[in-house]
Amino acid sequence: MRILTGLFVSFSLIGLGAYGGGLVTIPLIQHELVEQRQWMEFDDMARILAVAQMTPGPIAVNAATFTGFRLGSVPGAIVATASVIFPSLLILVALAPFAGRFKHNSHARKLRKGIQLGVLSLIIFAVWSYGSGVVQGLLELSIAAAAFLFLVIFEGKLHPLVVILSCGALGALIF
Amino acid sequence: MNLNNLTANDAAGSQERVSFPLLFLTFFRIGMLTLGGGLAMVPVIRHELVFRRRWLNDNDFIGMMSMATVVPGAVAVNLAYLLGAELRGKKGSAVAVLGTVLPSFFVILFIAKFLLPFFDYPRVSAFLRGCAIAVAGQLAFAAFIFGRKLFHRWQHLAVCAAGVIAVGVFGLHPLFGLLAAGLLGYRLLPENRKPLQARLKVRRQAREES
Repeated sequence: MRILTGLFVSFSLIGLGAYGGGLVTIPLIQHELVEQRQWMEFDDMARILAVAQMTPGPIAVNAATFTGFRLGSVPGAIVATASVIFPSLLILVALAPFAGRFKHNSHARKLRKGIQLGVLSLIIFAVWSYGSGVVQGLLELSIAAAAFLFLVIFEGKLHPLVVILSCGALGALIF
Repeated sequence: MNLNNLTANDAAGSQERVSFPLLFLTFFRIGMLTLGGGLAMVPVIRHELVFRRRWLNDNDFIGMMSMATVVPGAVAVNLAYLLGAELRGKKGSAVAVLGTVLPSFFVILFIAKFLLPFFDYPRVSAFLRGCAIAVAGQLAFAAFIFGRKLFHRWQHLAVCAAGVIAVGVFGLHPLFGLLAAGLLGYRLLPENRKPLQARLKVRRQAREES
């Protein structure tokens, strides 16, 4: 029971911060699961995130299902998955009636711009905090740099999944 | 919003009422097809809803999309909620959200239950390590794309730096990073100027008149 409430709290917070794309949840997941609750090692989390990126569906939802299952079997998976989508649905229910007014309000727009920049700061932070976890030497650094360069050079033409799978194949060959 | 929707439905010559199973199946498909998440899946969703099912026209889709991205959470799930509610009310949104989430739920459950023991095999472990490293590259790429889109003035840099410092230096919860940047952005950012195209249009009109 305690693990279920823990999953509920953690994944509600993660869902609350999942603003603008799935990658921003990586620093949140790392903070909640590895640093705060110490439910798993960094390497375990990195594996879960890699699987969550490669399977269909939003990364935060997949990571929630996986983590929930590992910690609390099927009930854990259900609780974690529901918790991660719960805050956004709550906000949608509350905000949907005022959507029109909200969209053109300059106050709301400024706040939103600030939050967008906040998402960017979390991603920059994650490049460091997550990156320093997976990159342990020059070899890893060059793989990450190659992935980055491929994504930049073939922007919009290359599905991110292709890059992830190629790096995985490369990893299977050389590690 | 309701009025818009009515005309959209008329224009598409659409069905009187979308049945629950069809709603479920459509979003189940979307949940199954959206690999990679984020913006990669917008075209997939658009194809399913606008062209295949003709449940809404492109304008309504863009409107709904912007609402789905304004609030936190996975875009596909938010969109499912909004469209489900438009088409069949509260039950509709529940059906659509379930349809979106269930495919990945079962896929992950399958992996966690049956494939997890293989994760410790050296080859599999090395494969996953390579994938995890690629995710770091992906994060750097996302930072690059967002930065290019968002940094136009020094204030933008300052707001972003404040978020990084709150989380990275002071070790605050990442949610505080979002909050700090949001509030500082609210204090610091100038009133939004009109979008570039609108400004160009005004300039062009002025030139034609003179």
